[in-house]
Amino acid sequence: MSSTALPASRRPAAAVPFIRRYGEDALLFVSLAILAVIWLSPFITILLSAVRSQADLFTRGIYSWPSEVLWRNFVEAWETGDFSIYFKNSLLLILVKVPLGILVASLAAYPLAKMRFALNMPIFLFFLIGLAVPIQVTLQPLLIMMQRIGLANSIWALVPPYVAFGLPFQIFVMRGFFRLIPGELIEAARLDGASELTIFRRIMMPLSLPALATLFIIDLLSTWNEFLIALVLINAKDSRTVPLGLLQFQGEFSTQYTLLMAGIVISILPVIAIFIFLQRYFVAGLTGGALKG
Amino acid sequence: MQQSLTAQPAAAGAAAVRKPFGAQMLTPFLFLLPALFFYLIFLVYPMLWSLYVSLFQWDGLSDNMIFVGFGNYARILFEDEIARLALWNNVLWTVGTLVIPTGIGLALALALNRRFRGSVVFRTIFYSPAVLPLVAVGLIWSWMYNPHFGGVNIALKAMGLGWLARGWLSDYDTALAATFVTNVWSHAGFPMILYLAGLQAIPREYYEAAKLDGANAWQSFRHVTLPGLAETHVIVLSLSVIQSFKVFDIIYTMTYGGPGRVTQVLGTWMYFQTFQYYNAGYGAALAWVIAIIVLVIAIPYIRRMSRN
Repeated sequence: MSSTALPASRRPAAAVPFIRRYGEDALLFVSLAILAVIWLSPFITILLSAVRSQADLFTRGIYSWPSEVLWRNFVEAWETGDFSIYFKNSLLLILVKVPLGILVASLAAYPLAKMRFALNMPIFLFFLIGLAVPIQVTLQPLLIMMQRIGLANSIWALVPPYVAFGLPFQIFVMRGFFRLIPGELIEAARLDGASELTIFRRIMMPLSLPALATLFIIDLLSTWNEFLIALVLINAKDSRTVPLGLLQFQGEFSTQYTLLMAGIVISILPVIAIFIFLQRYFVAGLTGGALKG
Repeated sequence: MQQSLTAQPAAAGAAAVRKPFGAQMLTPFLFLLPALFFYLIFLVYPMLWSLYVSLFQWDGLSDNMIFVGFGNYARILFEDEIARLALWNNVLWTVGTLVIPTGIGLALALALNRRFRGSVVFRTIFYSPAVLPLVAVGLIWSWMYNPHFGGVNIALKAMGLGWLARGWLSDYDTALAATFVTNVWSHAGFPMILYLAGLQAIPREYYEAAKLDGANAWQSFRHVTLPGLAETHVIVLSLSVIQSFKVFDIIYTMTYGGPGRVTQVLGTWMYFQTFQYYNAGYGAALAWVIAIIVLVIAIPYIRRMSRN
């Protein structure tokens, strides 16, 4: 809009293409801005709902500045919603699952990328098929298995299936990255008498830090967010992860809107922060994983 | 493990003489062992187990399993109206996903491909919903759709469209569409990112050549950009379909399959049958219907991924 004023003010002979060029850009920018506002509006809505009192919400509606900004809603939601339990569980789970899963995937990716053996391609394909396996098809058996080994209702029950379902993508990414590491490096190390495990530890892993960082972030987010497996395998309050806890909180405080919104904000704050600060690695990994072979 | 991996160091050259034959053969599998352990025991085995269970009538708890052959599958296709509705909802969801978030994603990628001030901010904004837990996404949008306070009705009233305002999630006619809009919000960023990467892989020279040949903007889009994105299309479309048949979290948190059962999809119906109604055999069959559809659709995607 403002840009139409700009070319009008200085209108030499070449005005027409000038207006067309910059007019198009301005139109594009304005459309993007409008869409961005629409995209942000749910965030704005929950924030505005979370920082006011319920009475304020009823009388003044969501889309007004609260008569008093109530930061203590967050404290209250954190305490009444027992979010400390859920955060602790989710963090513990991430601390164990993410490094374990990425280590297991990297170990598998090394021979698939750098060793010649008969079953290389079939095994790689076998793992890739896992990308398409819906979680639903494993749920009931997983529940029975976990009950039998006495892990049901513990957050540790989530680790093995999370690792298993994470492997296809992670093996794919790590294999792709390992293949870029020059074979001469590995050959030279072998000549020096390094074992394959040493090569993996001293050459492959250190040279793959960018890929590992990306996988770490992606896996951290998806572990934090996973819902369906946790819903089936975990019942006990003490073992709930953040998504389960949030849903429980919603069930108990479904009409305490402002408190509920504060709870939602609490549960998404960590992922939003991670995404904003680390998005460079994150986006590179997503596209690298899905597009590059 | 350490021992068998450390074969004799010296002898370079031909791989075969470097190590004893057995160790040479074994090494790759020792590295693969942990992954195969997790994958086989916690993914493949449960999968096959539920295939077996799907041939029985079983409550999931007792020892009383009655063999019914493909009876559960026949029931899905010919008897259970809700299952067919769920399948239909998945199909609608899929078609919608192929058109709307994919289209928005492509349009955004085209718009943001040229670097300008703020393009990274826009990209961050449009992608940000995709990193949220879907449970939170569902709850956020349930609030947006709240009949009394929700942003959707308020926005409609502000635009003079107050007569459209309703309880979007409790209305039989709008519940599925309302959950789908939530899906668009949370999933448009992913195709955008993939298309952006695809666009950046198209060599600049192609556009310059097209320009020299006198191509206008549309022609260069039609004859350079679209063909250049062919690979990306395969990825984006396959992932969209796969994701559409797996949909669960959003429906579960927003409508719980209701009102009535109008928003049931295969993923939720399987969950309800297995864990609420204790029809484990039937639920397993429903899960396998999802698995078969998804696995078949994923073939071109997996083939693309396995190429080097």
